[in-house]
Amino acid sequence: MTKQLTRDDLLKAYRTMRTIREFEERLHTDFATGEIPGFVHLYAGEEASATGVCMNLGPEDHIASTHRGHGHCIAKGVDPVGMMAEIWGRKTGTCKGKGGSMHIADLSVGMLGANGIVGGGGPLVCGTALAAKLRGQPYVSVCFFGDGASNQGTIFEAMNLASVWNLPVIFLAENNGYAEATSSNFSVACDNIADRASAFGMPGITVDGFDFFAVYEAAGAAIERARQGGGPSLVEVKLSRYYGHFEGDQQTYRAPGEVQNIRDTKDCLLQFARRVTTSGQITQAELAAIDAEVKALIDGSVVKAKSDPKPTEADLLTDVYVSY
Amino acid sequence: MKQCSSPSLVGIVANPASGRDIRRLTSKALVFPTVEKVNMIERLLGALGATGVERVLMMPDLVGISAGLTRAIDGHRADRDQPWPTVDFLPMRLTQGAADTVEAVRRMREAGVAVIVVLGGDGTHRIVAGECADTPLATLSSGTNNAFPDLREATLTGLAAGLVASGAVAVEAAARRNKRLRVRCAGQEELALVDVCVTRLEHVGARAVWDPTSIAELYVTFAEPGVIGLSSIAAMHTPVGRDEPRGGWVHCAPAGPAVLAPIAPGLVRPIGIAAAGALLPGQPMAIGALRGSIALDGEREIELDGRQAASVTLELEGPLTLDVPATLAAAVGAGALQRELGTGP
Repeated sequence: MTKQLTRDDLLKAYRTMRTIREFEERLHTDFATGEIPGFVHLYAGEEASATGVCMNLGPEDHIASTHRGHGHCIAKGVDPVGMMAEIWGRKTGTCKGKGGSMHIADLSVGMLGANGIVGGGGPLVCGTALAAKLRGQPYVSVCFFGDGASNQGTIFEAMNLASVWNLPVIFLAENNGYAEATSSNFSVACDNIADRASAFGMPGITVDGFDFFAVYEAAGAAIERARQGGGPSLVEVKLSRYYGHFEGDQQTYRAPGEVQNIRDTKDCLLQFARRVTTSGQITQAELAAIDAEVKALIDGSVVKAKSDPKPTEADLLTDVYVSY
Repeated sequence: MKQCSSPSLVGIVANPASGRDIRRLTSKALVFPTVEKVNMIERLLGALGATGVERVLMMPDLVGISAGLTRAIDGHRADRDQPWPTVDFLPMRLTQGAADTVEAVRRMREAGVAVIVVLGGDGTHRIVAGECADTPLATLSSGTNNAFPDLREATLTGLAAGLVASGAVAVEAAARRNKRLRVRCAGQEELALVDVCVTRLEHVGARAVWDPTSIAELYVTFAEPGVIGLSSIAAMHTPVGRDEPRGGWVHCAPAGPAVLAPIAPGLVRPIGIAAAGALLPGQPMAIGALRGSIALDGEREIELDGRQAASVTLELEGPLTLDVPATLAAAVGAGALQRELGTGP
């Protein structure tokens, strides 16, 4: 039978989604001051996807992320305090301040890395999945990618390879409707990314990315199938990002009120809170307590990041090569 | 017999979301790609055009059916190809949910369509049936569990719809009345066309019911051996015909006597039966109080906290659907398909 979510599971799901939202909303504010180096691409609005998927994964399972990777990192268990320091370019960051937003990786929790290359994650997860398969381990790998990446050759090649080698991979397409400023209705020939699965001999499904419960169940079925040797599958999650492609994007390609309408009617946190409080499983006070704890955590992470030291010239030539 | 010359109007609703839910992972259900839905509509248009339908009202969408159809219409040459009706997309604001189907059907009724052709699964037809009143439906399966719509070549369905819309075959000869189930739960009312399933799954989640151990109770309008889906549980125990004036119910059990039932494509499972019986029209039957959810035609729609009072009632006043073979036979009998070569199309 489908695993029923316990009360602890529900609280964990809410905390994860709230942490991602708070992290991104705070970056949105702080990036405008010009103090944060590099680019940030915010995941706000898409929290139910990363959370619904990663709650089906353990630390030995791997994920590959995108340039919009903060949510995937947090959901997979990367420490948000270290992430904030990383984005601020501090020595205490997840990658010692040398990677920044688009290169946060933490192999200790199975996070292969955010990735500046669109569609770069597909070949990586084929590698980790092949390793698990050759070692006889029941671990799966999830490749998060967007509608833009769905048109990249790397993704097609990875889907083909995963299928012919029957690898435990889940191709998790987060279709937020825009590849940078290009509408996916314009640029994705078959519109539903899930339709492409049959060309690679794997099942493809579409799921509502604003609904944590829908993503959790659908991704859970795909992950369980892969774990049992059933091979790869394609799960398309339809959702929306609340901010621009990158911070600073004027979003002139979106209709006025488009985002606000989604925030008001479909928001994943709003829906989740309404459903678990209406059913009586969680109280409003419990959710408010999590909100306060998360806010304190993120506020603290920014204070710490700002005061932490930056890498020095002496750090420049360390960690360039890895010895095996 | 001469073709009716008055302009006839047909509506088409094609659910862009049908045929791609979780059952592709949990069973071997087919993926129904958007391009194939467009192909089906093109085949429909050919048959509608051949039977004299002049205009089609089409539900728009944002995931490629409208776009694909627009491209096909641009490339269509009436002098080279067979004639197609004019296709008008309904000028409506899309929510990208079931509300779009409701709105499209409402507008089609207002415009006075003679027939609505529906491409979708049981879930899509359920939504259309809630709004179509006595406008007959021509059903085409493009979903996963298809107990209600016909699994049939679209050309034939288009011919039947066109013959009815153009007046060549009377609705009375072409259509049959279906049953439906009305669910009442804490002030909420919903309809189902085939089955109402009470599950132990607490969340609507991915909607489809695919886990046999989660099924607690089942109520059906009809249960025919030879039909896929949840209704097969009742069908393999106590069949009920689609035209019989009664329905059926089953209470499932985790152990004891069971029937082998094809509850989803590729998924044949033994389902324990604790009790079963007939559902009589107009007599509400209480749903057991449990924490779980109610699925309508295979999709979880209502979450139950164990405290709401809920009931199911069988009604005989469901939607009209075209019986395609009967319609075509009636047309042949009336000479409606006879033409003279060399004097026009």
